[in-house]
Amino acid sequence: MFIRKKGGRRAPPIHKPPSLKKAEGYYIGRFQAMACPCELLMAVEKKSLAKSLLTLAANEAWRIEQKFSRYVDDNLIYRINHSNGKPIKVEEEFVQLLNFAQQCYELSDGLFDITSGVLRYAWTFDGSDRIPEPAPVEALLPYVGWDKVTWQPPYFILPKGMEIDLGGIGKEYAVDRTLLLLQEKCQAAMVVNFGGDIHASGDRTWSIGIENPANLDSPIKILKIHQGALATSGDARRFLIKDGKRYGHVLNPKTGWPISNAQRSVTVAAGTCTEAGILATFALLQGEKAEEFLKNQDVQYWIE
Amino acid sequence: MTHKLLYIVLPTTLLIGGCANLGVQPWERDLLAKPEMQLIADPIEAALDDHIYFSKEASSGGRGFGGGGCGCN
Amino acid sequence: MQLMNPKNIRGALTIATCSLLGLNSAVADEENWEIDSAVLYYSETDRVTAIEPVINLKRNFDDEKALNLKLVFDLLTGASATGATPSDQVQTFTRPSGNGSYTTSSGETPLDDTFKDTRAALSAQWEQPLGRDYKTSVGSNVSKEYDYFSLGINGSLSRYFNQRNTTLTAGLSYANDTIEPEGDIPLELASMAINTGQARFEEEFNATRRGGDESKTTADLLLGVTQVIDRQTLMQLNYSFGQSDGYLTDPFKILSVVGNDGRAVDYVYESRPDSRTKHSLYWQTKHHFNQDIVDLSYRYMWDDWDITSHTFDLRYRWKLGHKHYLEPHFRYYMQSNADFYQRFLLDGQPLPEHASADYRLGELTGITLGLKYGMTLPNDHDLSLRLEYYQQSGEANANNAPGILSQQELFPDVDAVIVQFSYSF
Repeated sequence: MFIRKKGGRRAPPIHKPPSLKKAEGYYIGRFQAMACPCELLMAVEKKSLAKSLLTLAANEAWRIEQKFSRYVDDNLIYRINHSNGKPIKVEEEFVQLLNFAQQCYELSDGLFDITSGVLRYAWTFDGSDRIPEPAPVEALLPYVGWDKVTWQPPYFILPKGMEIDLGGIGKEYAVDRTLLLLQEKCQAAMVVNFGGDIHASGDRTWSIGIENPANLDSPIKILKIHQGALATSGDARRFLIKDGKRYGHVLNPKTGWPISNAQRSVTVAAGTCTEAGILATFALLQGEKAEEFLKNQDVQYWIE
Repeated sequence: MTHKLLYIVLPTTLLIGGCANLGVQPWERDLLAKPEMQLIADPIEAALDDHIYFSKEASSGGRGFGGGGCGCN
Repeated sequence: MQLMNPKNIRGALTIATCSLLGLNSAVADEENWEIDSAVLYYSETDRVTAIEPVINLKRNFDDEKALNLKLVFDLLTGASATGATPSDQVQTFTRPSGNGSYTTSSGETPLDDTFKDTRAALSAQWEQPLGRDYKTSVGSNVSKEYDYFSLGINGSLSRYFNQRNTTLTAGLSYANDTIEPEGDIPLELASMAINTGQARFEEEFNATRRGGDESKTTADLLLGVTQVIDRQTLMQLNYSFGQSDGYLTDPFKILSVVGNDGRAVDYVYESRPDSRTKHSLYWQTKHHFNQDIVDLSYRYMWDDWDITSHTFDLRYRWKLGHKHYLEPHFRYYMQSNADFYQRFLLDGQPLPEHASADYRLGELTGITLGLKYGMTLPNDHDLSLRLEYYQQSGEANANNAPGILSQQELFPDVDAVIVQFSYSF
């Protein structure tokens, strides 16, 4: 989701304006956000309406991107991550997100943890075989753990040396928020698709092409979606291989090491993109038990 | 009785007019979405109470419909 | 994730995401049914006792559509005040059915205990959105007891404004009720025939009757606005209009016609007008503090029987941790009497067109004090228990009560205990 680089920060992303194309019975809007291609399908007749919906969607996606990005140096995330242990009063939307992150932490027994981002200082998933030594990973563990933060809404205290990263839910949350915003303006059928995290609403069945992440050269799968959301969690593109053993980039915050026998890619269907995304992430965190977990949740899923 | 109606219509219109500024953003609806924050949080209890007071007093209703007439008043 | 029941993870996540996105969580399990059940126990000291079991089934469909089915049983026993005045002698009355008599001792408020009845009521309600901005609801209800039948329909339309912060609602309902008492409908203000053993009693009794059944229609209109004030506060203001036409008299109520000494010389059946127009204004607000919720409402009612009433209701939900709460409740009610309400009639005076001594149309205040305890069980079912105490006091004074009546208790308090147990799953 967010491309990570060690040390230094990029400037906040400046985006090209969105593009609009007409197709048979609907419009397609495209723009870049959150480091992925974003698409908006709208079953409307007037170009002016499609244009205004697209502008609304792009602005909402960029608003969330700015808000959550670790690379913007005066947003709330930056201030929290550089707070040096002092309490920060967070605003409404953040209160909701931190509450949500806490619930996910509890429901996953601590495996889903938004404070686990600092582990990237030990790991670089570039497809090489450079596995870190145990020592640097061990050294980072004291700075990982939601149990170490103090969360008394709206005051948040992050101990010095710790960081939070909302990248794990950011894109799916943006999909849902964008769709809700558009639905207030227009009742037509629409699909919001941010890099494969999708939410469709309205009375229409869409055919969407999904690329196979495990085999980027294979033909695109066509997915028929009517109403609901789809999210994918996976590590097809970021991993390390050493001595034939594959290390996926989903790390266990309790050990600092990748989840053993993690699936390459898990896609889940649910009512909202946020829920689908969390279920997919939870499934990944189960390692080889991912399929069993998803069967128990009684959701539609696809595992590569 | 007509002037009593005016006492209702005027403030209500002002209320609705002034209401354009009140309210919350969609992401601020967490508390309002809770079942216990619905105006009638327990419809069964509300209906049972309505029935008791309808049988024992001369007033009834005010807040909405549901079902049920009975031979008690 | 072995600690938690796997089913609960999905359910908990759905609730969590709905909370995050500010959506109303109609938590969809594969069973889309919500079942609420309750039993009410109502008991007045020395008077009426009622037991009412209720079951409500709600089926949620996609897109915020829902079907509600409700079944209620009402089992009543006990005695109710007839409207006659007490005396310093034993009084004998004829039962409403004409079969038999009952007596009231000296100093006692006359009560009629032929009152065992069972009622069953069924209602169905369908609600669904219409497009993005509207919501509609339609429903029907039917109710039957031994001598009473009611059939009604209702419909309402709501429109959202202002990002669903403001909602305007208009509703209409119509009901038709038929009453067919055992012993038939009494002739208004006719004298009660007393059975002292005379051979012609049956003929005399029938002369006080005027027909087998009667009916009434009730039409109600509701106009309301609901407004979100801020993240923690919600308010509603409703105006209601109700029109009832037909037989509005209670065939079981009588009035005492008393002489100068205050003792009854005659009993007559009551008579109410054949139409009633009611208006009410209702205001409610709910506010969410850190954990607790306060619910406050006020209703003002006025009608063309000259009755005005005020109802003030306050509830405070005190959360005890995540799964339990305690909710104290206070209700204060005050009404003025109907213009045709009279505690008794004076012998020698011409009979008025309408008269009723039914204490429920008189000047009175009612106070309810209650406490409710609720909890969520480990299996996610909810249960609650409430205990309330309701006391009604007649406010009218009877300075003009002649003779022995000035020594009698003409407006006794009525107190009742209310107990309700609910279970939802």
